[in-house]
Amino acid sequence: MPLIRRRSRIASEIPTSSMADIAFLLLIFFLVTTVFDEERGLAIMLPEGEEMVEVPEANLLQFVVREDGQVQVRVGASPAVEIVEASRVGEIWQRESAGNPELIAAVRTAPDAPYRFMIDVLDALQRVNAGRVSLQIAEPSP
Amino acid sequence: MMRRGLRRKSRPVSEIPSSSLADMAFLLLIFFMVSTTFRKEEPRDVIEPEAESTQRFRGASRDVVHIFIERDGAVYINDARVPVEQVRSIAAAMKEENPSLFVVIRADQDVAWRWVHAVQTELQAAGATRVAFYTTLERRLTEGGR
Repeated sequence: MPLIRRRSRIASEIPTSSMADIAFLLLIFFLVTTVFDEERGLAIMLPEGEEMVEVPEANLLQFVVREDGQVQVRVGASPAVEIVEASRVGEIWQRESAGNPELIAAVRTAPDAPYRFMIDVLDALQRVNAGRVSLQIAEPSP
Repeated sequence: MMRRGLRRKSRPVSEIPSSSLADMAFLLLIFFMVSTTFRKEEPRDVIEPEAESTQRFRGASRDVVHIFIERDGAVYINDARVPVEQVRSIAAAMKEENPSLFVVIRADQDVAWRWVHAVQTELQAAGATRVAFYTTLERRLTEGGR
C-alpha cells in the first residue's frame, strides 16, 4: 500500500523538457536577424587641410576618366596621350612606378562620367597596391 | 528476488543526456543577442559599384557613418536628405564628437562623378579624412547581366 501512494504523488518540479525548445526558437530568431556590422569597400585617406601641394609633373601619372569609361593616360610631362581600358590601369602603374617610387596617380574624372568608371580605375590601382592616389575632377574639355 | 531488483536499478541509461541542451542553446542565444544590431537606416535605392579589390574592415559601428548618394545626386545622412553644402558642417560636427570618425560613401554606380566629388571635397574640408567608397565584390559569373 505505501508503495502505491508514493508513485501517484504529483511531481512538484517545473517541467524543463520544453526549455530547450524555447531557447532554440529564440536562438533561430536571432540567427536569422543578425547582420554582422562589417563594412566593405575601397578605403582611402583624404589629404588633411586644404593647402595644395605642388607636385612636379614628372612624378605624375595622369589618368582622365571619360564619360564613356575609356581612360586617357599621360605619363609625367610627356605630351603623349594613350587611351586604354580601365582594367589596364594597374599594369601601367606597375610599369611606371618601378622606375619612379615618388609617382602619384592623379585620377581626374569627367564631371558627368558615371561613378562606377572612377571606381573601376581606383579598383585597378588598389589591386596593385598603388598607395599614392589623388582623386580629382576633370575640367570640362572643349 | 532481492538480487534481481538490484540489478535492474544499476542498468546504464540508454538515452543521450539532454539536460545540458538548454544550456548550450542559451549560450548560443546570448551570443547572437549580444552581437545583433538591428539596422537603423531605411533602405535606400542605391546600387553600389562592384570592385575586385573590395576589402572588409571591421570598424566599430559607432565610428561609422554612411553617406548615401542616389542616382540623381541626392545626398542622405542618417535618413535625412542633406544639401551638399551642408555636408561639411555635419561632418565637422561628427568629427568633433568622434575623432575616429569613419565615413563610408555609398553612392549609386551610375551617379555622375560631380556629386560624389562634391561630397568628397566637403568631407575633406571638414577634416573627415578617413573615407571609404562602398563597393560590392565583383560577381564575375553575372558580368554583363546588368
